[in-house]
Amino acid sequence: MPSASLLLQGLALGILTGGVYALLASGLTLYFGVMRVVQIAHPAFLFLGAYLTYFLFTFLRVDPLLSILVTVPLFFVLGVAIQRLLLSRLRPDSFTMMSVLLTFAFALLIEGMLGVVATGSFRSVTVDYATRSFQLGTVRLPYDRLIGFAVAVATLMLLFAVLRYSRYGQALRATIQHREAARLVGIDTDRITAIGFGLGLATAAVGGAVLALITTFFPAAHWGWIARLMAIIVVGGLGSVSGAALAALMLGVIEALVLVTLDATWAALVFYAFLFLTLVFRPQGFFGGRLAERF
Amino acid sequence: MSRPRSHQPSKDAVRRRSTASPAVPRRRVRWLCLIALLAVALAACGGEDPTAAEGASEEPAAGSEAPESAATGGEDLEGEPIRIGVSLPLTGDFSEPGKGVQNGYDTWATMVNEAGGLLDRPVEMIYRDDGSDPNRVISDYEQLITSEEVDMVLGPFSSRLVLAAADVAERNDMLFIEPAGAAPEIFEEGFENLFYAAPAVADTHYDYLFEYIMALPEDERPATVAYAVLDDPFAQGTAYGLKTQLEEAGFETVTDEVYPPDQTDFAAIAARVADSGAELFVGGTQFEDSVGLIRAFQELGYQPQMATFSTGPTLPQFSEAVGGASEGILSPVGYSASADLPGNAEFVAKYQELYDGEPGEDPANGYTAGQILAAAIEEVECADSSPECQQQLIDYIRGAEIETIVGPLSWDEAGRPQGAHMIQQWLDGRIEIVLPDTEVKTADLVYPKPEW
Repeated sequence: MPSASLLLQGLALGILTGGVYALLASGLTLYFGVMRVVQIAHPAFLFLGAYLTYFLFTFLRVDPLLSILVTVPLFFVLGVAIQRLLLSRLRPDSFTMMSVLLTFAFALLIEGMLGVVATGSFRSVTVDYATRSFQLGTVRLPYDRLIGFAVAVATLMLLFAVLRYSRYGQALRATIQHREAARLVGIDTDRITAIGFGLGLATAAVGGAVLALITTFFPAAHWGWIARLMAIIVVGGLGSVSGAALAALMLGVIEALVLVTLDATWAALVFYAFLFLTLVFRPQGFFGGRLAERF
Repeated sequence: MSRPRSHQPSKDAVRRRSTASPAVPRRRVRWLCLIALLAVALAACGGEDPTAAEGASEEPAAGSEAPESAATGGEDLEGEPIRIGVSLPLTGDFSEPGKGVQNGYDTWATMVNEAGGLLDRPVEMIYRDDGSDPNRVISDYEQLITSEEVDMVLGPFSSRLVLAAADVAERNDMLFIEPAGAAPEIFEEGFENLFYAAPAVADTHYDYLFEYIMALPEDERPATVAYAVLDDPFAQGTAYGLKTQLEEAGFETVTDEVYPPDQTDFAAIAARVADSGAELFVGGTQFEDSVGLIRAFQELGYQPQMATFSTGPTLPQFSEAVGGASEGILSPVGYSASADLPGNAEFVAKYQELYDGEPGEDPANGYTAGQILAAAIEEVECADSSPECQQQLIDYIRGAEIETIVGPLSWDEAGRPQGAHMIQQWLDGRIEIVLPDTEVKTADLVYPKPEW
């Protein structure tokens, strides 16, 4: 039986990791919300963000957190462009399948490109606080994870505030709830959708910077994240930002506790077990209500 | 393909859901099914075959690539080239070491061709990319042997792929010299044509370190041992080889963690090891997991007196990856670029001319495999894929002791090399050979290790 201090340590790490999961999955819920798109390439964009952070850090000594100022606008514009130029042109009757194929192609494209530019080597961003931690009783909280968690919380709160209180957020929610009705009251739904997609991709830039801070990565690393992030948004209720955040926190904590009590092989199963249970018992997700009311 | 679109909700969907309008849940069910399917399918990809697709995008012609004879300088030689088929993990999980082995093979082929070829014939390497996938490695070798009709084959990287490939070579009566399959299982399959081109198999890699620990005064030996091991035949072979020896000698195992190959977060695993307070840490690692573990150990303030990792520290970029925390870390190693062995200096010089930096273990083992093949071909004086020629080559190697850059090699009946691995240690930012205590040693082992 693991000691109490180990359990506490596991719990603390789980909460910190869960927060990061929430940030990484938030983009997926946005895409699904605005376009009903399952964006297979989201993790690939996360790692593209991580690589950009890495290059900015290695060659220009830009702090990973400052690099967000460059990558976020870049990803936002990229997201708007992808939505306007590619996704919006897919035919509605085959949109489901075609959007998956299109984003799958993006994932391959990004991975191949990173392989050519950065080779298959493992990269990591080693800042001087990377190996230190904040001690709280017997529990040690690594600084890089604390920072990752703080960035995640700040980003999600900002995202939530935009969706909840800004005029754009109202228009976005109206578009999600009823596109035709939104158009009737004068909302330019195409523009709103494009911006929504851009916002989703912008979260990938922030997530990428956090990933670069806390883990090593290589071009093919994104495959391992797709299933995990998908599981989070299904458990959280498709399209719900707060549901996904809660699910991410919950799965992160359970994963860490299984890791410290059982082992890593069982921990890897946690996400699939919950995906399975959710689909069997509560397909609408544990934290989502009606799709229209999820924001 | 057109699906009839009915706006009539199925009864099933209505019964199961009362919250939403009938049109929404059906669509959502479809989405959920799609996502679930994708999640499962991609997870399957994620573990074993992360880049089945990368191969297609990054190097679309990898499978059918033109022979690389231009790169290996064989065009000046007369005579039909000796065509050597190899499948390597040039993309995917093992792409880094896979490329290392390829560089080793190419260095060998270049040097052979510059020296006039084998039996006056140039050597031509034919590569396929298996994307680190054991299924693709099988079809690669099948095709190389049956439709490409190569004269010789050499092995891929990593025990997992060697195991799959060796079976194909055996069925086709081809000699199979492999640069990277050290796991004990490989030599228990009864292969009669397999030879491992390195000094020792995995479970004996730590023999010298074990002897060193046992030679310490009893009160200075590390009392407790923790293991964190990748679920991989090679990684487990090395770490558990040492574990078996230590447990028999009475050392207490305080924790033994096994993690899957796609593990990226090592904080919780490290927390368990740190909680055990083990004085000796043994990592059965590749590269990125050794880096992840060390960073997590630093964050948790865990300081063992001795720490050793299977691979990872053997790669030159290790020290940079762990931010200089490499000091005092041990690793078993089968090759040293500074070793004074016949032909080694020439290999290192040629390698540095063709690529950046000193060659590590993987290129060296690729080169060694080539050396063994060349020695056999020159002795037997045949180089074709006929069973007679292949059998002669096999018989020769079985009884021979062949001079290579990792030392003289000979094999038992299962293809196990009869040498021993050295132990290296990172000291002052450099890799030094610290065991065995013979002329190969370049520095004294530092114990207890400095803090990381």
